Amino acid sequence: MSYQKPIPLKTLDNSPYWDAADQHELRLQKCMSCGEYAHPPGPSCAKCGGTELSWETFGSDVKGTIYSYVISYRPFLPGFQDDLPLVIAQVELENPSGVKILGNVIESNHEEIKIGKPVQMVWVDITEDRALPQWKLL
Amino acid sequence: MSKLTEKYAIVGVGESERSKNSGVTPLHLALDAARAAIADAGLNATEIDGFMSYSEHDSCTSHQLATYLGVRPKYVKDIMGGGSSTEMLIADAIGLIEAGMVNTVLIYRSMNGRSGVRMGGGGWDVNMLQTAFDGGSFIIPYGAGSPSQWFGLFATRHMHETGITKEHFGHVCVSAYEHAQRNPKAFFYGKPLTMEEYLKTPDLSFPFNKHDYCLESDEANAIIVTSADRAKDCKSRPVYIMGMSARQCHPHAHYWSDLSQVAADYVAPDLYQNAGVKPEDIQVASIYDCYSWVVLRQLEAYGFAPRGEVGAFVAEGNLKMGGKLPTNTAGGMLSEGYTHGMNNVLEIVRQIRHEYKGTDRQVENCEIGICTGWAGPDIAGAMILRN
Repeated sequence: MSYQKPIPLKTLDNSPYWDAADQHELRLQKCMSCGEYAHPPGPSCAKCGGTELSWETFGSDVKGTIYSYVISYRPFLPGFQDDLPLVIAQVELENPSGVKILGNVIESNHEEIKIGKPVQMVWVDITEDRALPQWKLL
Repeated sequence: MSKLTEKYAIVGVGESERSKNSGVTPLHLALDAARAAIADAGLNATEIDGFMSYSEHDSCTSHQLATYLGVRPKYVKDIMGGGSSTEMLIADAIGLIEAGMVNTVLIYRSMNGRSGVRMGGGGWDVNMLQTAFDGGSFIIPYGAGSPSQWFGLFATRHMHETGITKEHFGHVCVSAYEHAQRNPKAFFYGKPLTMEEYLKTPDLSFPFNKHDYCLESDEANAIIVTSADRAKDCKSRPVYIMGMSARQCHPHAHYWSDLSQVAADYVAPDLYQNAGVKPEDIQVASIYDCYSWVVLRQLEAYGFAPRGEVGAFVAEGNLKMGGKLPTNTAGGMLSEGYTHGMNNVLEIVRQIRHEYKGTDRQVENCEIGICTGWAGPDIAGAMILRN
């Protein structure tokens, strides 16, 4: 059966992130003027307005801790009815520190989800050529 | 915005019937609300020359409303928006009146929010949603499509940092439902809520259970704003706008990138400076309540209790009648009805007029009230009113 959930839309500003994700790697946008990492990426730097942007790759070993979360017991979007309860977490990366990336904490007992718990990024192949970054409890 | 004190007033408020299935169009509801507000002010429809509304593409236009009131308007404006739009449109109306472009403005929100387009009803195109928000591609593919999930991320973090608990959410809900028992027009009139019942209700989306969510209703609300000079000719007791901070924003449009701050944090200092009062001068409140936690976070932002003590503030019963800050005294959006905040504006106007005098619904001797709007952690506005 084909993938029923929304597939991340690649745009002018975000495609390097999703292209890297498809290769099971993390890539982040960085402002060359002020050094700020931007997530989500944008057309210019949200901190200083700078227009010189670069992309930095962080490989496939990406760790962080849960910064906040919700646990949904009903689907709020189509396609998620078989994923309940659904854990949606904002994760603070170890490196580069402070950057936060939202994802589902998958294959985990939702009763173990707590702020501060360490997690590891994993990539779920959702179609033949697309992969979605997710989190797993360490 | 320069000092507004005593220059502008709300002179009319009105609403349509509230139901779960109106059986009529938003234009009919808007006409009912507008006629009620016009009668409340003691005006003729033709004395209103500006018409404004906000909607989520679920309403009628201001031009339509004016047309069927028999008025050729000098100014119409329909914006896309939900929470905090009332405050922004009042500020816009004041600006236009100040500039001499119009004299008197009617602002309305009309929606079949239960039988028509439901905010929590789904049916959205997911690819549209990915482009509708800044960074939408980074939240929608993860199933985060509801404000209860977006605001919930802020709430869980806030609970962790300040010690707020589900029981504190429960106090907000129980207080609101208690107010609704004095309002026969509230959806939850006759349906009080106990803390025991609240706490045993399963979560829809942690940290929120169904009581933490606002209602959905079919209704229209309208208010009329004019200058203090013209207010003297109105039948109603004017409620003066002491000060506003009409619309402030989170630093980032993708506000999920920083859960530690909300737009209301920027509204509060501007508002109090503009109005020339302090939190302790305020005796009655309408605090935007799309979710219970949103009330707690705003009580902190607007300085009614210090960070970390907001839970104790609500646990002491301060949102109830006889408390330090009776809040959402018609039941609010948690238990009265839901028009993206305008029903809370109607109620605070009536409180400040002392319209309930002689009944147990009146906040005794209230002179100054605060009315806050919250589109989300991203956008907020507020005003302070007095009689």
